[in-house]
Amino acid sequence: MSPAPLLALRQLVKNYGGVRALRGVDFDLQAGEVHALLGENGAGKSTLIKVITGAHQPNGGTLTLAGQRVANLTPSTARALGIACIYQQPALFPDLTVAENLALRLEATSASSRIDWPARRARAEQWLARLGAEISPEAEVRSLSMPEQQLVEIACALGAGARIVIMDEPTASLTQKEQRLLFAVVRDLRKNGVGVIYISHRLEEIFALADRVTVLRDGQSVGTHAVGDIDEAGLIRLMVGREVAQIYPAAESTPGHRVALSLRAVGCRASGVHNVSFEVRSGEIFGLGGLVGAGRTELARILFGITPADSGEITLHGQRLTLRSPQAAVAQGIAYVPEDRRRHGVVLELSIAHNLTMAIHRRFFPTTWLRFGAERALALDFIRDLAVKCAGPDAPGGSLSGGNQQKVSLARWLATKPKLLILDEPTQGVDVGAKSEIHKIIRRLAKEGLAVILISSDLPEVIGMSDRIGVMGGGTLRAILPGGSAPHDVMAAALGTTERGAA
Amino acid sequence: MSASPSTQTRRDWKALLTRHEMLLLYVLIAEWLFFYFAGTTTNRRGVVVGFGTLDRQFDILRHSCEIGLLALALTPVIITAGIDLSIGSLLGLCAILFGKLWHDGGLPIPVAAGLTLALGALAGGLNAILITALRLPPLIVTLGTYSLFRGLAEAITHGAITYTDFPASFLFVGQERWLGLPTQAWIFLGVALGVGLLVHRTTFGRAFRTIGFSPEGARYAGLPVARRLALVYVLAGLIAAIAAIIYTARLGQAKADAGTGYELFAITAVVLGGTSIFGGSGTVHGTLLGVAAIAVLKNGLACLPVVMRMNAAEEMSGLLTGALLLLALTAGVLPKILSRFRARHHAPAP
Amino acid sequence: MKRFFRELSVLGALAAVLVGMAIFAPAFFSPQPLLSLLTREAPTLVVACGMACVIITRQIDISVGSMFSVCSVCAGLLAARGWPLLLVLPASVALGALLGAVNGLLVAGLRLPSIVVTLATMVTLRQGLNLVRQGEFVNLPDRIQWFGLSQMAGQLVLVGASVVFLVALALAMRHVAAGRFVYAVGTDAEAARLAGIRPQLVTFLVFIFIGALTGLAAMMNLAQSPQVQPLSGAGLELKVIAAVVVGGVAISGGRGNLWGAFTGLLLLACVSPALIHLHIEAYWEKAIQGAIILLAVVADGLRTRRLNR
Repeated sequence: MSPAPLLALRQLVKNYGGVRALRGVDFDLQAGEVHALLGENGAGKSTLIKVITGAHQPNGGTLTLAGQRVANLTPSTARALGIACIYQQPALFPDLTVAENLALRLEATSASSRIDWPARRARAEQWLARLGAEISPEAEVRSLSMPEQQLVEIACALGAGARIVIMDEPTASLTQKEQRLLFAVVRDLRKNGVGVIYISHRLEEIFALADRVTVLRDGQSVGTHAVGDIDEAGLIRLMVGREVAQIYPAAESTPGHRVALSLRAVGCRASGVHNVSFEVRSGEIFGLGGLVGAGRTELARILFGITPADSGEITLHGQRLTLRSPQAAVAQGIAYVPEDRRRHGVVLELSIAHNLTMAIHRRFFPTTWLRFGAERALALDFIRDLAVKCAGPDAPGGSLSGGNQQKVSLARWLATKPKLLILDEPTQGVDVGAKSEIHKIIRRLAKEGLAVILISSDLPEVIGMSDRIGVMGGGTLRAILPGGSAPHDVMAAALGTTERGAA
Repeated sequence: MSASPSTQTRRDWKALLTRHEMLLLYVLIAEWLFFYFAGTTTNRRGVVVGFGTLDRQFDILRHSCEIGLLALALTPVIITAGIDLSIGSLLGLCAILFGKLWHDGGLPIPVAAGLTLALGALAGGLNAILITALRLPPLIVTLGTYSLFRGLAEAITHGAITYTDFPASFLFVGQERWLGLPTQAWIFLGVALGVGLLVHRTTFGRAFRTIGFSPEGARYAGLPVARRLALVYVLAGLIAAIAAIIYTARLGQAKADAGTGYELFAITAVVLGGTSIFGGSGTVHGTLLGVAAIAVLKNGLACLPVVMRMNAAEEMSGLLTGALLLLALTAGVLPKILSRFRARHHAPAP
Repeated sequence: MKRFFRELSVLGALAAVLVGMAIFAPAFFSPQPLLSLLTREAPTLVVACGMACVIITRQIDISVGSMFSVCSVCAGLLAARGWPLLLVLPASVALGALLGAVNGLLVAGLRLPSIVVTLATMVTLRQGLNLVRQGEFVNLPDRIQWFGLSQMAGQLVLVGASVVFLVALALAMRHVAAGRFVYAVGTDAEAARLAGIRPQLVTFLVFIFIGALTGLAAMMNLAQSPQVQPLSGAGLELKVIAAVVVGGVAISGGRGNLWGAFTGLLLLACVSPALIHLHIEAYWEKAIQGAIILLAVVADGLRTRRLNR
């Protein structure tokens, strides 16, 4: 009935070490179609994209392009075959002009060739005009806003003659006007026979733009429907489907009534967070759920002083806080276990003991004189307490597995005896055994009276561990739901499809 | 889990014996022995002259104090993955300021010395502010101050003035001995002890190391990164001032060209001693060994008959030190390159 | 307009200095001293062009002074031995390129920081030269002087050649792909690699390039005096880096152009005669040079901070 699809994936399998990211995905894309890809975090969307663009090789299954089987894709062959991906973070040269960026990406120039600037400029103008973008080809990329840079990236894809364009959350940081522009571009692409894979969490966009939608869950495609044949509720059902089968340690006590942390209308213009208000009580685990880009890590960075708030009030145990730097945050009792373990967490070259005492220099070594014996003892205590599998306190951080690194990161902050502990994706990339241990530790901390904010993209984890769940989206708090809520409700709140701003 | 205490201790000793500093110690000993045998002779009167004499050894000690101090100053800087090219010029400037304060200002020596130390720290503070507050790259900032400080020294002395005729009590610091060793050696040891303790036994040193390995990681751990960085540059300025005073005492004069070219020797000593130019790892005792190696090289060459005939001690030592720095740098990155090479030519397991 | 704000502001500063000179020391503009000044600076301009390329690729080379000395002495010795000019010139350039290749190999091949590598090669070369020459001068044959032309003609040739070279290189940087590769590598080496450029090769070639230019500059200097002093080239690196940085080439790489470097060089070249005419003693020169470098870098730093806020 329809011609051979532009792209067809059959039973695609991809494993990373012990993790099965894709477990047999079926997906096809027709020419001249906008096919939306939907799924919660960790469902396998980014892995699928990496396989399609040739960044990673699948472990099983087939990939067919316009009827031809393709194996051993590399990024450059994928590009040559007409597959282009527009990421959220554009990979442009900031100090060069738009025209030059386009030229460098699109022209395969030999070193001695003469550069035809007028031609470059004209070509850039042509592509930008196609997009209806009001960007001058002579503008330096550094001076462009993020959405403008994205449009340049799209122009790159167009210019490269892509037949398959993948867009990963393209409207995340666009204004209404820019979104409409983008939709026009997408429709234009469709008209020209380009196949677009459109990844987005905004259901209204999917319904407005896409022809078909495929839902991924736990590394499998659980349904492909024409957009007219399904509704929001149906999509959400597909996304969260299974029961919350995992067992999470039960709350051993109800949290006290003492309010530990209070946020009132907190925002930071630079990071897109606005009007966030909620309270966390002592002994409570307050989960922060939401989809990627919702602003949860940005909120954490506000609380930790990395990007200070420019509006609103933050109070901890009744004290108004000024959080201008991480130092200030630590001094006022806030601890943050970061999401990016490699860059901000454990310093791999330093020993476990050194990593452990990194945040408590002032308290543990009051005269600035190092006390190796006491430090070692503290390290051994924590190693035992958190069951860190290591070769000893002097082993370098880099010798630990991901889960154990996370424990050391956690231990470092526990050593500061904080009043508020913010955990950002604490079990991401951690094996099942360590995951469960970390969960038990978090529960124990709550029982001991610590106020905990748990940021997690793992829906079952957020639902199973939290006493209350604050669902963020679009940089603000969309709803606060009780712990153990139905995944459907949480997802709906995250997608912004139910009533807004329940306090 | 962890090994039993006895095997762990044995492993520790083995690691200790093959560590970078131990290898450098072997090289130092070999070097010293070479110059001892090649550079010591008996002259016509039957007196032993050359490298092997106590006088010569003390000379080595004396000469190595200034470069040693600069190397000590540079060690924390390089550990934080920074660099300070201006300390040699700062030595010259401080020497001039010291001379001027004493000679033209009429201040007593101790007061002049104290003021000079303050001024040295202040100059280091200039580097510190530009690097920490304005986040400018240390390379270009210290390149600019390298020129500025030397230029100020030349300007103040009109390119010609030399301060001399220091009182004997002051010259004692640079030219005499105290309790068996040259006086400045005691100062040097004191500073070495101070810097060593700072880097190895205090939270400051920990912070330096962390910043050198991962500046972002240090920030996310709540460490006061800007303050710590400022400290290393101010400290470098202070130590350069101390070196300037010792230099003046040793030579008995303060000239604007004092310390010219010292930065190379200082950096070489630090890198030789095992401090990584990329930051994070490094030891003060390694730097001391590096200083010793360079000092022995410099002075030993001057004792070799062939070099004496050519009258080319300074050139030889400069030449060899430059080559030595390149060798040390190459040796430092060789393991990384070998592993990268191996990884590329062995198919990676999926 | 806005894009070249930095370069235009240096031009403005130069214009201000020239206007100041015109008012307070008009003797500066008499043709013969002016020509002499430009001739003296011609070799520096050539090296500055190379240094701009090096700094744009986010590297630095402080060994140019020593390379200059070595090339000068070797070229002088060859000339004194009777080699014709037509052979001495390429020999000097080739020697410079060879020395630059050593730097390039260490920086691009071993990924060592260029500051420390060129610090080492700077001293090694200088001391090696001193060792071999013991400070001896090299007397040059007359035919080398001003390339055998009259002084005026020779000066015009040198100045003209350096300007022609500047223009040619500036055009090449803009209109030949290789020039753009330099910018790409300096901006983001990883993105450049993904775009098909080879950053290590570009870096290696840039060091060879500045070495070759230093050899050329050495020849240009040779033509200006009857003998080669072993100290020639001392302080060249600082002069050139100052000129380039003042002219808007950012130490962080990827920004700046040769016109800015040219303007910066002229600005700094005016400092010394300006001092003389303003009756400030010449030994303030180094301090002013250092202050100018710092001011330029601070201005750039403040501007970046304001942009990123």
